[in-house]
Amino acid sequence: MSDDIRGMTAELAADPDSLIFLDLGEALRRRGQLDAAFKVARTGLSRYPELAKAHDLFARILCDRGEPDRAFESWVTALQLDAGLVSAHKGLGFLYYQAGDLASAEKHLAYSTQVDPDDTGTAAALERVRADAAASRAPQAAATAPEAVTAAQSDPGTDAAAPGDASLPTIAATGGLAFSFDEGARSPVQEAVFSGLDGGADGLLLVDANGLRLGGGLRNPDGVDVADSVAALLAGVSKEAARTARLLTLGDWRGLSVECGDGNLYLSAPSESTLLLTVRGLDVPMGRVARFAERASVAARSWLERAE
Amino acid sequence: MSNPVELLERLSTVRGLRGSVLVSAADGLIVAESLMTGVDGRAVAALAASLMNRLRRATECAGRKEPVFLQLQAQSGSVLATPCGAELVLVAVAGPDANVGLARLEMLEAAGRLV
Amino acid sequence: MRSVEPWVTEPLERFLAESSARLTLLMTSAGQVIAQHGFTRSVDVMTAAALGAAIMASTGEIAKLVGERSFLSLVHQGARQHVYLAGFDTPRGRWIGLVVFDAESTVGLVQLFFDRLISDLAAAAPRQAPEQQVLPENFERELNASLRALFGR
Repeated sequence: MSDDIRGMTAELAADPDSLIFLDLGEALRRRGQLDAAFKVARTGLSRYPELAKAHDLFARILCDRGEPDRAFESWVTALQLDAGLVSAHKGLGFLYYQAGDLASAEKHLAYSTQVDPDDTGTAAALERVRADAAASRAPQAAATAPEAVTAAQSDPGTDAAAPGDASLPTIAATGGLAFSFDEGARSPVQEAVFSGLDGGADGLLLVDANGLRLGGGLRNPDGVDVADSVAALLAGVSKEAARTARLLTLGDWRGLSVECGDGNLYLSAPSESTLLLTVRGLDVPMGRVARFAERASVAARSWLERAE
Repeated sequence: MSNPVELLERLSTVRGLRGSVLVSAADGLIVAESLMTGVDGRAVAALAASLMNRLRRATECAGRKEPVFLQLQAQSGSVLATPCGAELVLVAVAGPDANVGLARLEMLEAAGRLV
Repeated sequence: MRSVEPWVTEPLERFLAESSARLTLLMTSAGQVIAQHGFTRSVDVMTAAALGAAIMASTGEIAKLVGERSFLSLVHQGARQHVYLAGFDTPRGRWIGLVVFDAESTVGLVQLFFDRLISDLAAAAPRQAPEQQVLPENFERELNASLRALFGR
């Protein structure tokens, strides 16, 4: 462990409320210690949920971990808290570029260069985005594979990483999905199933009758993907719910709300052969969770109809 | 621990509740009951305990803390349940006109007294 | 699931579906097997039937000692699997049910659906049972026939 990380770690241990977690998380991320960086950032975020820079740091780490959808959400949150945060604009510009939305990428990178005209890396990235946009508009223009836009990962005022920098992930997984930046922006992972749903992000899991995931996602509070294992258990829960309602002569079951010590869950059946689990924190009352689940059910049904 | 039957009878005064049972979580057997005629207490106990156990496994898998209250909503009523410690579950059967919010509060208070 | 009496099949299948039992045996109080589910070897069926009938007989004697006509059911709780034994009257005489279950079910569920099985069997039993005398010389033949029916051979 390097001296600076050791020193920052000691400082954070002595004062867990210290903002040194921002520097420590970034240092760990640059060294490739992503698990440690993730834990530092997540803990700091839990203490400072209104700090835009904490969300920005978290987004960078998520990007490095190959989780572009969650990185997107974190950068959106960062900008909701601080609309002028340049590093968040750069991050979104990077993701939009990778997703093929050149117009949105240009918008964010142009803002970044306007705020920090000395950042040559971002300026170069903006030129590249504009060139690609012009080429795509030209009828005879041949498509070229985009190189990694490097400016997103650099701090304002520091040198941008060279093209092809190994520290930058290629987000080929976004597969050219187009998504727009606005206050209700959704993660690309949710886009396919829960299209048109306001406010939906994590904690929506669509499952078939055999306990296999159809769409959505679910992570535990440590950030581990638990969607498939929870999906497998939900099939048994729904069968038990249906049986209970039937044998107690209550008719067909309509919904199952569960209050846990640290969150609210709602299980419903958008169609005869599917289940939808909605998970929210304790800050969302159960009544609202149920209403949100109804809207998510509508979105899920539409998606199922389109998919058939 | 308060007298279970007294607590169940008090719970039964909530409008729309058809009765309540105190159930052994592991066995699904009745410990105490206060039910209207026509409500199958053994079925309520066995099925609600099984549902609660399955939900415990699912929430644990999701990395969440244990359930503290559940409501199974159906066409003609609801089943409400709350754990009383690790070994007991308090279950109530509610008709469609039940005041579920009040029932929930009463059940949580009763569960606290039964632990 | 196999049965020597066809009318037992449907009620027993319903019981198995609802109770999630791993092993189930229906037998007469003398240990003659009527139906089984989950056993893979005939010797296990015969052993379980003999032991189950013996347990019910001995606990019946204890019941008399304490002034009960009989015990309705017995539960043996294991570390991972449990056994539920119950005697019940049918139009064909006194039968015994032996159910082995695990964490997928509970005593409450097994009891609940076993009682429904009893009602279903009473409703499904043919009105007039054919007279059957089990003579010593055809007992072994009948036993072998039952085992063939129970294991589909």
